[in-house]
Amino acid sequence: MSDQTDQRNAPPATSSERTVARLVNATKRFGTGDAAVTALNDATIEFRKGEFTAVMGPSGSGKSTLMYCQSGLDRLTSGHAYIGDVDVSTLSDQELSVMRRSTLGFIFQSFHLVPALTSRENITLPVDLNANAEVDEAFLNELAVVLGIEHRLENLPSQLSGGQRQRVAVARAMIPRPDVIFADEPTGALDSKTSGELLAYLRTAVDDLGQTIVMVTHDAVAASHCDRVVYVQDGVLVDEGRNPTVDDVLGKIRELS
Amino acid sequence: MIRRTLKLAWFKRNRYALTVVAIALSVAFIVSTLLLTTSIADVGEPLRSAYDDVDVVVTGPEVAGGDGPVQAISAPVPAAVVADLTAAGRIAVGLADPYAQVLTSDGQAGGQDQAAANVAEPWLGDSPLNGFAIVEGAAPEVVGEAVMDVSTADAASLAVGSTIRFVTDSGVQEARLVGLATFGGSDNDPYTSTLLLAPEHPIFTTAEGFQRVLVADATVADVAAMVSGMEVESGADWIQAEQDALNDFLGFFSTFLTVFAVVAVVVGMVIVTNTFTVSLSQRTQELALLRLVGTTRRQLLSQVVLEAVLLGTIGTAIGLVLGLAGVSVLGWFLDVLGLVIERSNTISATALVVGVIVGLGVTVVASVRPAWKSTEVAPIEALRSSEADLTDGGTRRRMLTVGVLAIGLATLAWGIAQSDILFTGVAIGAIFLALYLGADSLVRIAARLTRPLLGRAGPTGTIASRNLEKNAGRTAAAASALMIGIALIGFFTLMAATIGQFIAGDAGEALEADLVVQGIGSQPEPALNDDVLEQVGSVDGVEIVVPLYQTSVSPVGDVEFERAGPGGGGGLGVALTDVDALAQAYAFVLNAGSLDDIAGSSVAIDQATADGFGRSIGDTLAVTSLAGPAELEVVAIIETSLPGSPQPAIIGDLSLRTTLGYDDPATAAYIVGSVLPGDVNEAIDLPTVEVVSRTDYIDGLSSNLDTILALVYALLAVAVLVALIGIANTVSLAISERVGEIAATRAAGASSRQIFWSLLAEFGLLAIVGIVSGLVFAWIAAASLFNALSGGQIGTPEVDVLTALLIVAAGLSGALIASWFPARSAATTDILDVLRAD
Repeated sequence: MSDQTDQRNAPPATSSERTVARLVNATKRFGTGDAAVTALNDATIEFRKGEFTAVMGPSGSGKSTLMYCQSGLDRLTSGHAYIGDVDVSTLSDQELSVMRRSTLGFIFQSFHLVPALTSRENITLPVDLNANAEVDEAFLNELAVVLGIEHRLENLPSQLSGGQRQRVAVARAMIPRPDVIFADEPTGALDSKTSGELLAYLRTAVDDLGQTIVMVTHDAVAASHCDRVVYVQDGVLVDEGRNPTVDDVLGKIRELS
Repeated sequence: MIRRTLKLAWFKRNRYALTVVAIALSVAFIVSTLLLTTSIADVGEPLRSAYDDVDVVVTGPEVAGGDGPVQAISAPVPAAVVADLTAAGRIAVGLADPYAQVLTSDGQAGGQDQAAANVAEPWLGDSPLNGFAIVEGAAPEVVGEAVMDVSTADAASLAVGSTIRFVTDSGVQEARLVGLATFGGSDNDPYTSTLLLAPEHPIFTTAEGFQRVLVADATVADVAAMVSGMEVESGADWIQAEQDALNDFLGFFSTFLTVFAVVAVVVGMVIVTNTFTVSLSQRTQELALLRLVGTTRRQLLSQVVLEAVLLGTIGTAIGLVLGLAGVSVLGWFLDVLGLVIERSNTISATALVVGVIVGLGVTVVASVRPAWKSTEVAPIEALRSSEADLTDGGTRRRMLTVGVLAIGLATLAWGIAQSDILFTGVAIGAIFLALYLGADSLVRIAARLTRPLLGRAGPTGTIASRNLEKNAGRTAAAASALMIGIALIGFFTLMAATIGQFIAGDAGEALEADLVVQGIGSQPEPALNDDVLEQVGSVDGVEIVVPLYQTSVSPVGDVEFERAGPGGGGGLGVALTDVDALAQAYAFVLNAGSLDDIAGSSVAIDQATADGFGRSIGDTLAVTSLAGPAELEVVAIIETSLPGSPQPAIIGDLSLRTTLGYDDPATAAYIVGSVLPGDVNEAIDLPTVEVVSRTDYIDGLSSNLDTILALVYALLAVAVLVALIGIANTVSLAISERVGEIAATRAAGASSRQIFWSLLAEFGLLAIVGIVSGLVFAWIAAASLFNALSGGQIGTPEVDVLTALLIVAAGLSGALIASWFPARSAATTDILDVLRAD
């Protein structure tokens, strides 16, 4: 990966230009009174354009909540979550939906493909949901070839293996050329070989297409593919590092837990 | 195990709530209809108790009529018969049943109710033949005194001591009400309003013979030896015959109710089966896990069936309570509609027991099959795939469907060609079964056909269409349930329309009279005596008065012909009138001959009668009437006759009245002239007669049908409601298993509105399949059944597009409302709830 080092190490221009998503004094509490749990505690973080970030932390650390709040799937108790310059807390359900189909991409641990739709239809779903948008067929074919699912486009999800399903999900997240892709344990349900291939692909998307990816994971190997790793504990950002190796990550995790 | 079952059921209480409601409604429906049926008073009871001393009844030979609304006409028993029997030492009394309708205290037509017969009977005093007993006041001693039955007095708000007025064939008369009487311990003679007058009253002395002669202290054999040419039967046989005649009418009604009860149960069963099938499919993993840890199939089966018993018990208990309330609602509805059904207040234990058996039985039976199938899944298989398909599906079912459909269509073709009721019935049953079995295929076809259209609404439309196709095996049952309800509604609508056609004929176009004068009530008495006709004729503006005298005769000869339509069974209806005047009031379509030739025994007949008896111009038709046999010559054939139930087959001149022995007043009159109904009404002093405009008259021709149809609709509404609950249930279940997919679509950017509409589209389409197949089935069933029942006389029923659209719209709205809330809650579910569950 040394050939990519230069690009990855290039310092951000200005924070405002290169920031695609950020949380400012983000606090998220579940429940009330004695039963209240603080999942995010006054967290502030920026995600920069063209950067592959891993969000790590032990179970219950708040890493998933961070992602959900950042992406507008969940609402903060206080503080702000911005996508670009837009404060997602000010958006209606309709506006959030439009944002999800055009500005954001999602990849989930359990794929969440629509069983009734073919791979192709699943991939183009975000674009098709927009009445005025046209699918970029060339881009779709390119994605399919790179992901190795070009012969699986007419199959239903039930006819695909787990790795293939996840690659369809990646293509679906990529197709609207979103500003940022949020991936929630994308390799969690895959074996090591398949997850290696998937991570390699995500890496390529960042390097070649300038895609921004925020990935929640507890897998040190997965995190080692990233430009930046952020450690969350008890709802607070405790540390971060750049160009992590597996050993770096494992060491840090041991330190935290 | 019971505790675990209870716990699991409680856990799934929301899912089962609608099932319980469906069971409860089915049970309520069957219990209330059964309670109503069993509460219909046994009319034989008062008759038996009133006439326990009547040994023999003598009636005249039947000369015409018999079935349906056409009253059987029997020749009168000559007065000499009574004299002879009395002379021979028997106790005998002749009853003529002369028309006498009591007016209420404010001068309106009173009597028990519209449908009841209004008669006067002589007070028989201490005679063992007197069926009445005075319960208040005294007996009528002189001509100016009257007694009436308790029910009639109540209905007309008349008290003992007051002066009453009553209408007879000779006009309005007065009397003083001196007492009230009961009949055989009941408040009235069944379905009759009786005015008891002194035997010396002229209403009795002018009668030329009797409807029946009651005899005591005699045997059938010795009375038969004394009278000739009369029908002689024992008192018990006569009561039985009376009871049977009334039960025929009530039996039709009870059958009606029973059919609906069965329908409600079938619909309920379909829904319960559906619920269990779907919920067990979803629980395959749970069940497999139990199998994995060592639960036997039998244990698993008992657990599921126990769950069913639990639901059945709750649903049945609620249903029984609702049913007890429902019978009052049904009774109230009957009263509002003016359908006179005498009822008792007894609650039949049988009805309750049947309700319990049905409620529990249906639930358990409906659960056993899906339960057994669900336990068939190997534990490891179930753990691999998230759910198993427990529906029948597959090639075997499709082949069965096609086979049954082929048999149905072939039988139907044969049934139509032969106008055979048995074949037609079997065919209709087979087609229904095929529709039920093939409902999933229909749903799949509908999904595929509408995909291009739905696809234009974007991917959510495509998802709706695909899901509909994929889940057809499970959801089709909901469509079937709706199909049953809609099919029945469609069938009865077509039936009512066809029967209406038979009564009204082409009166809508052909009636040119401006007004019509007729007796009030659903079975108007011949009430337009000569005074009335004179009063009508003297009103300013009245140009022509055309009186109609309607009677019936029996055909004699080798040709057996039964007229199609209500009352078409027995005799031939006859309308006697001033034919020249009628030409000004009614424009017949003449097929052959000339109306000008009608005179004396020369008559016009309608085309159906001409075809049925194979008669053409110049032929004769032999009939028997009250006056004996007569030969009628056909001089004109008209396309459609005057309106009536049945339409009169024969139109003759006034002079034919004597030939046929008809000496009652006119039954109706057409008026030509520019005059208002109110003005004519004012000139008539009989409150039992009304004057209506042409349009009101035509509308009124089908008003009885509308009444019955309203009741039918009300009953069917319950079946449709149960079906809609099934839809709601199916929607909730389908949605609950699809939360993951919905969350994925939402995460990809679909708005909750898009999800909501796609769910509505999916289940709306499902409902449309049920509604449309129900309507098509209704049309096939109606067309073929009417054809078979009428021996080919009735063509295909006319479809009123507006009504069909209304049914579709109502069914669809119902289904959409039923889907609305589950779809709404699914569309607005927090995506994160699903994602976090990973």
